[in-house]
Amino acid sequence: MAAEAASGATLRRVGFGGITGSRGAFFACCGLLVVLLAVPSLHNGYIENLFRGVLMFATLSLGWNVIGGYTGYVSFGNVVFFGLGTYTTAMLWDKLHQQNIAIAIVTAMAVAAIFALVLGVPILRLRGHYFGIATLGIALATQEIIANIDWLGGGSGVTIRQIDNFSLYYYAMWAVCTASFLATFLIARSKLGYAFVAIRENEEAATILGVDPTRYKVLAWMISGMMAAAAGAVFAGANGFIDAPTAFATDDNVFPIVMAILGGVGTIAGPLVGALVLTAINETLWSHFPEIHTLFFGAVIVLVVLFLPRGILWLFKLRGGWRGFIASLKVYRV
Amino acid sequence: MKNSRIAAICAAALVAVLALPATVTPAAADDSTIVFGAALAATGRDSREGALTRDGYEFWKDYVNSHGGIKVGGKTYKVAIEYADDETNPQTAARLVEKFISQDKVNFILGPYGSPNSASAAAVVERYKVPMVEGNGSAEKIFNQGFKYTFAVLSPARRYLEFVIDMALHQKDKPKTVAIVSANDAFSIEVAAGANDYALAHGLKVVYNSKYPADTTDVSGIVSAIKATNPDLILNGGHLQDAILLQRGFKEQNVNAKVFAYSVGPDTPDFRKTLGKDADYVFGGTQWSPTAKYKGAPGFITDSKVYAAEFAKKYGHIPDYHNAESSATCLAFQYAIEKAGSLDPQKVRDALASLDVVTFYGLLKFDDRGINIYKPMAVNQIQNGELKTVWPTGVQNAQPIYPTPDWSKR
Amino acid sequence: MELFFQDLVNGILAGGIFAVIALGFSLVWGIMNIINLAHGAFVMLGAYIAYVLFSAFHLDPFISIPIAFVLMFGFGYAVQRYVINFVVRAPMLTTFLLTFGLALLIVNVVLVIFHGDIKGITTSYSGANFTLGPVTVPWAKFLTLIAALAITVLMQLFMTRTKTGRAIRATSMDIGAAQLAGVRVAHIYAIVFGLGAGLAGAAGVLVSMSYSLQPSMGDPFIIKAFVVCVLGGLGSVEGALIGGLVYGILESFGSQWIGTGLQDAVALVVLLIVLVVRPRGIMGKATA
Repeated sequence: MAAEAASGATLRRVGFGGITGSRGAFFACCGLLVVLLAVPSLHNGYIENLFRGVLMFATLSLGWNVIGGYTGYVSFGNVVFFGLGTYTTAMLWDKLHQQNIAIAIVTAMAVAAIFALVLGVPILRLRGHYFGIATLGIALATQEIIANIDWLGGGSGVTIRQIDNFSLYYYAMWAVCTASFLATFLIARSKLGYAFVAIRENEEAATILGVDPTRYKVLAWMISGMMAAAAGAVFAGANGFIDAPTAFATDDNVFPIVMAILGGVGTIAGPLVGALVLTAINETLWSHFPEIHTLFFGAVIVLVVLFLPRGILWLFKLRGGWRGFIASLKVYRV
Repeated sequence: MKNSRIAAICAAALVAVLALPATVTPAAADDSTIVFGAALAATGRDSREGALTRDGYEFWKDYVNSHGGIKVGGKTYKVAIEYADDETNPQTAARLVEKFISQDKVNFILGPYGSPNSASAAAVVERYKVPMVEGNGSAEKIFNQGFKYTFAVLSPARRYLEFVIDMALHQKDKPKTVAIVSANDAFSIEVAAGANDYALAHGLKVVYNSKYPADTTDVSGIVSAIKATNPDLILNGGHLQDAILLQRGFKEQNVNAKVFAYSVGPDTPDFRKTLGKDADYVFGGTQWSPTAKYKGAPGFITDSKVYAAEFAKKYGHIPDYHNAESSATCLAFQYAIEKAGSLDPQKVRDALASLDVVTFYGLLKFDDRGINIYKPMAVNQIQNGELKTVWPTGVQNAQPIYPTPDWSKR
Repeated sequence: MELFFQDLVNGILAGGIFAVIALGFSLVWGIMNIINLAHGAFVMLGAYIAYVLFSAFHLDPFISIPIAFVLMFGFGYAVQRYVINFVVRAPMLTTFLLTFGLALLIVNVVLVIFHGDIKGITTSYSGANFTLGPVTVPWAKFLTLIAALAITVLMQLFMTRTKTGRAIRATSMDIGAAQLAGVRVAHIYAIVFGLGAGLAGAAGVLVSMSYSLQPSMGDPFIIKAFVVCVLGGLGSVEGALIGGLVYGILESFGSQWIGTGLQDAVALVVLLIVLVVRPRGIMGKATA
């Protein structure tokens, strides 16, 4: 406990920045999103796939950011919402022959919201490590349960017939990402955002000041879940095939967290910047070193956590030059 | 606050990502080479099977290139195959296939190993309208989607263990009860369903039928449960790893039965190597055997025995059915391209759809869904460390040893 | 009825391994407050050490146990002293991700060296078994249980009877007081982590005899280790042992009655029940 309070003070001393992060970062991201709208016009399936991935991961990262970054409840299982979203699309096609992406997104968000509401009340009573592992457990258990329900496709998975205008999946993902981005912006500047951060900084004090933690924590988890599920709903259609391991893949669980850290946890622009940079790194590694790209990626994670725990953007706010940088590394050691 | 720096980072990353594809040079698609793209598992759960598939493809390629290549119209073309590791991950397989088609501009696609990967690759080639032939994904689910551009040379999954039951029913001391256990993936589920339906249709009682997770590491509970039902036949739909675990488990808990049969495993050299003597008497369903008596069309090796000998010379072991069906996959393309007289994807696809040719592997003909229902399967048994074909009688080179002796009597 | 007893025995036999895995995990968590997501990878390394020694020198896996322990201890010590130490007091997210990244690194290095195909150790006595009434007990699994119990007893003796063991317990109770008493905390932390890794390595050797080997084999063990720690009670050797055995039995019956595919679901349910009903676990001490 004392260590965490001390680290909070240290964070402020090295210049962490407020809830909204920097304005410049925000406008840069708006510009980025506008530019990304032009990708389908390049008529290159591979590039479209790549940037659709960036948008998807950015959304997942933005979602995680709400519960993990702003509210301070580090979830290690948000992929469960993504997976639920994919299966929503799969079932809409398989049972109702419904291909409409918008319907899929809305239904997926509803499913995620209910799931977060029902499980959130008991699970969010846990703190720290326990919450993290409990969410991991939920993700694994849900994956297993779904893989064993034949009505949902069981172990064979579900094939989804894709719509003819394939670029619509790209635009849908873009819409989901932009909506999540704007939602994060609105939350950060509203009473909701302050309530989340209050819970993160000191939950007991927040309660005394009139913030009902359970209500806000569950709300935060619901929001993060809805974002993830929307991304999943679009992904399923674009992928054409969903089974349990694909829907709940570890990559989709961990990458968004690393991206949020790389870009800056608890900021608006962080997840998007992190998603772009990390995808660039991952794709380069994958193209040139296919056999060992995961190895390099593990190294990247380790390096990011060790040297950039507060993200790239923070690197430019750091005072004290090199000395300050080295000093910041020593804060947590024994 | 250095806004400009943030803008610079974003811009740099954006440019880097956009520029990436340019750094990867596509295969030298020159005018006299037909290029195939093949996403195969080199790592992950199916890496052994992926390697066997690759050997099958390579064997065909080397043969064709050293015998003048493929004739298209009036011109002769050499063959090249581009490989990439799909990590036994269906999503990676789909990405790789998309990259092969849209970036590297290959001519055609050779299928991955495994049904999930074949399924996700099938969705991609359907979108791009580039034909794909595969020889290692036999789940019928793939072919019930109405796809027009995917073809499979192998018999459907349901057939794998049917002939094992058939063989047992033709022996003295007929079996009465069956235990079926399968991994929870598309292929294994269909194998189990096929075995289950066949058993019921022939008057056998199914006393146990359950599934385990595809990547399970501990099967003691399943083995105990099977033992408690005391079945005559024990049938497994799964892959190499589970086959080894189960066979070991049966010995550990002293489970005896008249027949132990696995859909994948007994045919592979690794099964026999890992289990040693414990692998004896095990049966397996097989897509092909060196004892097959087909007379193939000209253009490739016509005789199964010769194929086995040539393959063994090159790779150091008798080919198993994965090798053979992979070579057959390429053969389908070879005959279709020659028949179409062109490399146009549409024309080749149509030629594939109407293909009807006998090869060393069997008849290559596809039904209107794209799968080969015209080739029968056979049954192998490991006898004294060696793989023998024991059923049907037309292709057997040894009698089946039935019933399997008890563990204590071996 | 036979099946019931066979399941019980299967559960106990598996539980021994879980106990040893959880022991190392619990040590690091209880004393350094770090959840080591690379613990599964350490188990995997132990298994591969056994495999290499077996295939190259025909060394029986049981003899490999102390070798694996020592090698993994050294590895763990170095990893803690020179990598994890930088973030040992950082918020949970940092340590979670760092250990996750380390796990990824380790798994992929093994993947490059050994490739992804499944390997196994088949000893001359693999498959041999004896019967105990209606139950068949495989020799390899039985000896594994004995080894697991022996390791647990040795750890308990170490923690209570040696100077280092007492220093470790002092550090976990009050780090400031321990430093005042002359304990070199950085060194102790490294020893603790090394012990955790060593135990994982030993467990890996035990695992290699009954399960098949592949680089990703360690993943399922993390969740199980966590549940066993919570179930048995953090910070005690007996807790890890009892928790491991109980969990092994629960998982065995759970798989049989609910379905083999739902092992992790069973684990999660057990976890949630324990956290709600008795958060300190079976053997845990009530904390403020």
